[in-house]
Amino acid sequence: MTDADRLDQTFHFIMSVFVARGQAPHFTEIAANFSIPAEEGKRRLHELMALRLPNWLFPGTDLIASFAPFNNLPTQYRISVDGEQRWFAQCGLEALATTWMFPGKLVTVNAPCLDCGEPLSVDILDGEIKRADPGDIAFYVDLPVKKWYGNLPFA
Amino acid sequence: MNLFRSKEHARKWSQFKAGTEAGLLTLGDAMRVMSTPRHRNRLSAKYVSTAPETLPAFVARLLEVSGNAPFWDLRPG
Repeated sequence: MTDADRLDQTFHFIMSVFVARGQAPHFTEIAANFSIPAEEGKRRLHELMALRLPNWLFPGTDLIASFAPFNNLPTQYRISVDGEQRWFAQCGLEALATTWMFPGKLVTVNAPCLDCGEPLSVDILDGEIKRADPGDIAFYVDLPVKKWYGNLPFA
Repeated sequence: MNLFRSKEHARKWSQFKAGTEAGLLTLGDAMRVMSTPRHRNRLSAKYVSTAPETLPAFVARLLEVSGNAPFWDLRPG
């Protein structure tokens, strides 16, 4: 098995667990899934998180903090699938991308507006916005896209 | 990277930064940005190894949606 295969497998396992239960696996679960020692599971996790992808560990730990489009710590972007709220999105933009994690299912993003605290809600099915309340919801980022990777949690 | 009830709400936000108007997108455009294979393929068993191939379409989509705004230009330079 190549390094690329291992990275693919680890990524796919973490994403599959996130989709299924709304929380990231611990590295010991990565190890158990691939029938490898726990330390090897930890090494695979750190190798994957070192790639230039929008995923990161909680500082100083081996715990997944964020794995786009999901977040392992609650954020204001609550994600429901067919009416069941079990997931949190990494940010307002990735909240929209959660639709691709649930093919054929209605994904709802619920969040407060950071300006006024009033709710906003979006229904998405396979990438198509089915409903937005209010109707002129907007996205805002204050950092040019080239600088996002400099400090992803704060982009 | 946040959602607001409208662009006006985003502009009124206490942390809105002057000179970053280009960072505002409609909900529809934000959805388009997140609809290239880079985001659609995350369930793929080969996502990591194919990720470099998906970057050009994402870069192009950012430029298309923003009207080639430098704010959304990921290209080196």
